[in-house]
Amino acid sequence: MGGLTQVRPGSVPHGPAQAPAGSVRRREILVAYALLTPAVLLVLGVLAYPVAWEVWISLTSFASRAESRSFVGVANYRTMLADAFFWRALATTVVYFVVTTLAKLAVGVALALLLARPCRGRALVFLAVFLPWAYPGGVTVVAWYWMLNPPLITSYSVAVGHWKHAVDGVAGAGAYTFASVALFNIWRGASFTAVFLLAGLNAIPRELFDYARLETRSAAQRFRHVTLPLLRPFLALAVFLSFTTAFADLANVWMLTGGRVIFPVVGTYAYWLGIRSGEFAEAAAWSLSLVPLLLLALAVLFRWFDPPREAPA
Amino acid sequence: MLIERTWKRWVYFYIPLTVFVVGTLFPFYWMLITAIRPDAELYRSWRAATNTPFWTLQPTLEHFRDLMAKTTFPQWLWNTFFIAVASTAISLFCGLLAGYALARLRFPMAGALGTSIFVTYLVPPTLLFIPLANIIRTFQLGDTPWALILTYPTFLIPFCTWLLMGYFKTIPKELEECARIDGATRFGAMLRIIFPIAVPGILSAGIFAFTLSWNEFIYALVFLSSPEKKTVPVGVVSELIRGDIYFWGQLMAGALLGSIPVALVYSFFVEYYVTGLTGSVKG
Repeated sequence: MGGLTQVRPGSVPHGPAQAPAGSVRRREILVAYALLTPAVLLVLGVLAYPVAWEVWISLTSFASRAESRSFVGVANYRTMLADAFFWRALATTVVYFVVTTLAKLAVGVALALLLARPCRGRALVFLAVFLPWAYPGGVTVVAWYWMLNPPLITSYSVAVGHWKHAVDGVAGAGAYTFASVALFNIWRGASFTAVFLLAGLNAIPRELFDYARLETRSAAQRFRHVTLPLLRPFLALAVFLSFTTAFADLANVWMLTGGRVIFPVVGTYAYWLGIRSGEFAEAAAWSLSLVPLLLLALAVLFRWFDPPREAPA
Repeated sequence: MLIERTWKRWVYFYIPLTVFVVGTLFPFYWMLITAIRPDAELYRSWRAATNTPFWTLQPTLEHFRDLMAKTTFPQWLWNTFFIAVASTAISLFCGLLAGYALARLRFPMAGALGTSIFVTYLVPPTLLFIPLANIIRTFQLGDTPWALILTYPTFLIPFCTWLLMGYFKTIPKELEECARIDGATRFGAMLRIIFPIAVPGILSAGIFAFTLSWNEFIYALVFLSSPEKKTVPVGVVSELIRGDIYFWGQLMAGALLGSIPVALVYSFFVEYYVTGLTGSVKG
């Protein structure tokens, strides 16, 4: 997980300073490639090829009902961009990401600080905190659906119905559903973020905190000026992981809205288009619309990760 | 160490921690209470005098019995287990070799390969399920466990490689060099010196991979269709929800039973897991 914080994924492993003799060196290179082959083959075969196929398909008129498949250029993208529904879906996706990520970070940092303190029964607390993440999300999401959006014939659905009306009345229709999906994502992701950040806290030398105790007046100051900056690389990675899960959250949204497209998220709609309606080309265009965002996030992340002043010696 | 006043410790530590733990566990409690509640209670009126939303006075195992007898739940358990173990084994094997190569050997393009493996971990499945569905149809793997065993490694290998690479880097190079000087081959040193030291890292990568594949939902939903071929997360959801009818008691019973393996794995290995994660970070 954190190999990254210490070694940038792209960095070349540092070997001994002197160059080894030619044949030994060649052998090493050969061994390296041999070791990498299975991983690279599997990943390329089931990742690079599908993505390429998807790009190609998004430029055609491929659909399960169409008799033939013809090249249509960027027509699918043009239809998508002209669709007001797409912009709404994109906006929901982005808001969803921002809201859940901020909440997860806040809860995660708080929880990590609590967990960093040794206390009795810490292992049990750990287990409790980790359970939401370790539990199959596809299943807990049903439990949440049952808890927050119970169907009409349930004993407590009247009580929840009142809530729902109150929330929707204040924040607009669909707000309650959105909140329940976001809450689920936070519940599930915060614990993971916490454990992840805890690893980060543990990696910070104790002496720095002791020194900070002497230099700062309050715990809040210490937190702002010492803990947060030191945790930054971990926070950056947490944001990125949250980013990918937010966009991968198709299943959660799908389940918590009972399989209906109540409020659209890009992934859910792509699933609806592709798997349910067989409009593969359009669905591919919808899925690929996330790529620019993903690349942007990746660029920002790499900048955060390895700022020049913290370059490894 | 500073001495804290007792009230401070309660306000800043015990109370928030309790709130967190209770908040996290409440949905599980709700699942349990639903699973053991008789149907009559599940659907009784909110205003009924006997309504006890937060506990039940007549716990029953009826839903668990129904789940075992009326659905193919045991079969789902076996499917999920088989798929999770197979894809974890494949991913660990590939991840160990690749992680070792990236951490220890010098070769051209090492940097580019390391970065691209990291990047592939971040490609969301939302992007992939449409083309993968097509590939699986082409190779006629649809509705077989192999559809999942071969696709899960796409997100498991990058993760395992990345974690193990970090872990291998924390092992001093001298250990391996000593073994080489004493006459071990590179593979000998790898197998007898490096891998045994890396056991916490390997275990945590394995646990992580096992959990991810046990819990995977989208691919399993798209690639499998017959009821008896399904995995637990998908089977529970798709077979116990028919249209608008939810078999809530059985659903929750299935949700509880279906997660026991993962819960067990975690409770046995939580220590290893945490050291694996923190170890790979600390360097």
